[in-house]
Amino acid sequence: MSPEVEILVKKFSALLRWERRKRREQVCATASSYALAAALLALPFYAFLRAPGSRWMIPIVLFMLLAPVLFFKRRWRREDSARALARVDQTLRLEERAITAWELIERNDSRPTAQLVLKQAAEKLKTLDPAALFRRRWHWHHMVALPLLVLWLALMGFDIDRQFDSGLLPSAIPTTAHRLREYSRELQERAKSEGLRESLGLGKELEKVAQKSIDAKTADDRFKKDLVATSQKVEAMGKSAAEQPSFSAGESRQSLRDLKAELETARELLKFPEAANTEEKLAQQWLDRLAGMPQLKRQFDKENQAGQKLSQNALQSFLDRLDKQATGELDRRALLEAQQFLEQLMKQGQGEKGEHSVRVPAGNEQDGSGDGEKMRTHSNLPGKEPGKKEAGFQSLPQFPAGAPARVKGALGEGESSGVVFKGKPAPGKSELSQEEVIATYRRQAEAELNSERVPEALKETIKNYFMSLGQSETKK
Amino acid sequence: MESVTDIEQRMQSARRAFEELRAEMGRFIVGHDELIEQVFIALVCGGHCLLEGVPGLGKTLMVRSLGEILSLSFSRIQFTPDLMPADITGTNVLSDDPSGRKIFEFQRGPVFAHIVLADEINRATPKTQSALLEAMQEQSVTVGGKLHRLENPFMVLATQNPIEMEGTYPLPEAQVDRFFFKLLLQYPNREELGRIADLTTAAPPAPPRDVLDAAGIMQIRQWVREVPLAEVVKDYAVRIVMGTHAGEAKRNGAISAQKFVLYGSSPRGLQSLILAAKARALLQGRPNVSFEDIRVMVAPSLRHRLILNLEADAEGIGAETILAEVLERVAEVP
Repeated sequence: MSPEVEILVKKFSALLRWERRKRREQVCATASSYALAAALLALPFYAFLRAPGSRWMIPIVLFMLLAPVLFFKRRWRREDSARALARVDQTLRLEERAITAWELIERNDSRPTAQLVLKQAAEKLKTLDPAALFRRRWHWHHMVALPLLVLWLALMGFDIDRQFDSGLLPSAIPTTAHRLREYSRELQERAKSEGLRESLGLGKELEKVAQKSIDAKTADDRFKKDLVATSQKVEAMGKSAAEQPSFSAGESRQSLRDLKAELETARELLKFPEAANTEEKLAQQWLDRLAGMPQLKRQFDKENQAGQKLSQNALQSFLDRLDKQATGELDRRALLEAQQFLEQLMKQGQGEKGEHSVRVPAGNEQDGSGDGEKMRTHSNLPGKEPGKKEAGFQSLPQFPAGAPARVKGALGEGESSGVVFKGKPAPGKSELSQEEVIATYRRQAEAELNSERVPEALKETIKNYFMSLGQSETKK
Repeated sequence: MESVTDIEQRMQSARRAFEELRAEMGRFIVGHDELIEQVFIALVCGGHCLLEGVPGLGKTLMVRSLGEILSLSFSRIQFTPDLMPADITGTNVLSDDPSGRKIFEFQRGPVFAHIVLADEINRATPKTQSALLEAMQEQSVTVGGKLHRLENPFMVLATQNPIEMEGTYPLPEAQVDRFFFKLLLQYPNREELGRIADLTTAAPPAPPRDVLDAAGIMQIRQWVREVPLAEVVKDYAVRIVMGTHAGEAKRNGAISAQKFVLYGSSPRGLQSLILAAKARALLQGRPNVSFEDIRVMVAPSLRHRLILNLEADAEGIGAETILAEVLERVAEVP
């Protein structure tokens, strides 16, 4: 190999190596820009990713997908080498000596004319420094990568992608964590309204566990495994509560709730001014009122079989004790229910069953009515046996459209409400006791009276009316 | 075997010969430097030229001067409608041999010269024009069933007047294609006209000096063919020739070529283009062909090979316009 050829081979290799490197860098920059742009566009869909931390991998994954395509599309070809050499000729005004020399070397042309071309080309190219002569040139699609990266990091830093979660996830299949969170919130609400301390604590804890899993996008299977520890904890709480049952298993949750409502009413009674009178009067008044509170009466009768004298303090302590017991029992049952819910949640395949399928009462509970969320169908109307079709049953008459029967209430100023009946209730004897119905009405009235919708002036009148309902019935 | 130094020397001698020719021609012809270069290129490539220009621009003078400077035999044929093929090629005439017997003897026509000026070639009938075909292509004439070789180098320089078309016979496409170059003579500018006046109205210049003989020309012809040509540069020439075809023009977006070209350049066009580019490189003292050589040689090599449609004629579009667009569209390296 002549010295000219050696020089040229070295210079051409350096030039082509430099040009290839520039090409690789440009392809990487382009792929980065496209990957980051795609990652930004896909931001609303990050919610679908289950694995924790996977959202940070999206640009890398997109880059890995795009880069091979771009590298293949912009792979180095012979034309690229020719183009690079033509640029050398053009820049150094070599009148195609470089590209001709390159081809002559490839062809191994040893003719004297070819040697002259090689000689002239070597003379002109021996000082060639490709990196200095052909610097990197960046276009907008290369330079946009950095601003896109900063923007993407900023958006991820502010958790913008998570703001889309609420908009997208409900439409998707709810995960176990979502179901648990929903249940825990319901449990907390119920515990707050009924004053169940243990259940409230458990509800908060469950919500925390569920929220953590939702944030971390933990996979369902893994979450179920994590739930085992929580379930064991709940089980332990349930067991300790089950050791001290205060009421028989036959007591329904509804009757316990009624009892609590009656206890509240009874406390009010003790605060009446006439409560300061003689013990006889108090006892008489107490017994009169007790007639309208069937659950309380039953408990009172159990306790006071000896016919002890009633002092205000004794009554107060009786009511306190009973209230504590009823609350404890409700708390215990709520814990058991939560335990059962968790067990079924862990067993259940995702999306196979609806949420209602796990919302079953505790095994030792005989509460048919549940939380009172049952649909009011013909079969569970008062006086009807659920599931049993009566011989004389006829469907209720339909009122013509546009002319609903409306029963007006006592209208005054402000918001008013009415009840639309679909038809007359079917005749028959109710199987529910009158006491239970009255107690339910009273409880509902108590709840309504606590709302601001009822004017203050009328509250006392309404309260008295419902209290008197039980008394008048007893008198009859 | 020749060394690199020998090649350098022969390149220098070719370049020197051309410079001397140009200088000597400059004593008789004012301007037309580019034209002189192209005629010389055609000569060293073994081609023929078709010169087109209005009368009085020095076509005949230039060709005659070229013949004298190159120490080559020169003949002029004035083409007229009654010119017969035999008037060009020569004919067998009856004569007496030394023993007194009557024999046919071949009387050479004016075509038997190194440089033949076919003046106003389009005035002769096609039959007579075609008599030149064999001479141009085969460098031989056949008379009475006998083949007669022409001398080397042989070059036909035909002229035609572009404005006076009445009573003319336009050259058939096949014959036009046989010309290596078609050269256009432009009207001299003010300065050149002044110099022409001085030159032709004063004492005649000294007789021309011989700068190159037939052997020298044949030597340069051989050197031209040895000039290396890179594949990339050859591909550029190929793509230019392809670009004159309507189909290829559609691909590279040359609108005028798509619209006005009926037939593009023939392969002879490519041969002329590459050979002329090699000759130019040699005359420039360069050992290889450049893209610029190809670009410069496109117009003289291809302009007469494009067959344009009537629309081009109606819109006054010439082959030069189309070739300029093709050159714009075709990249040096794809």
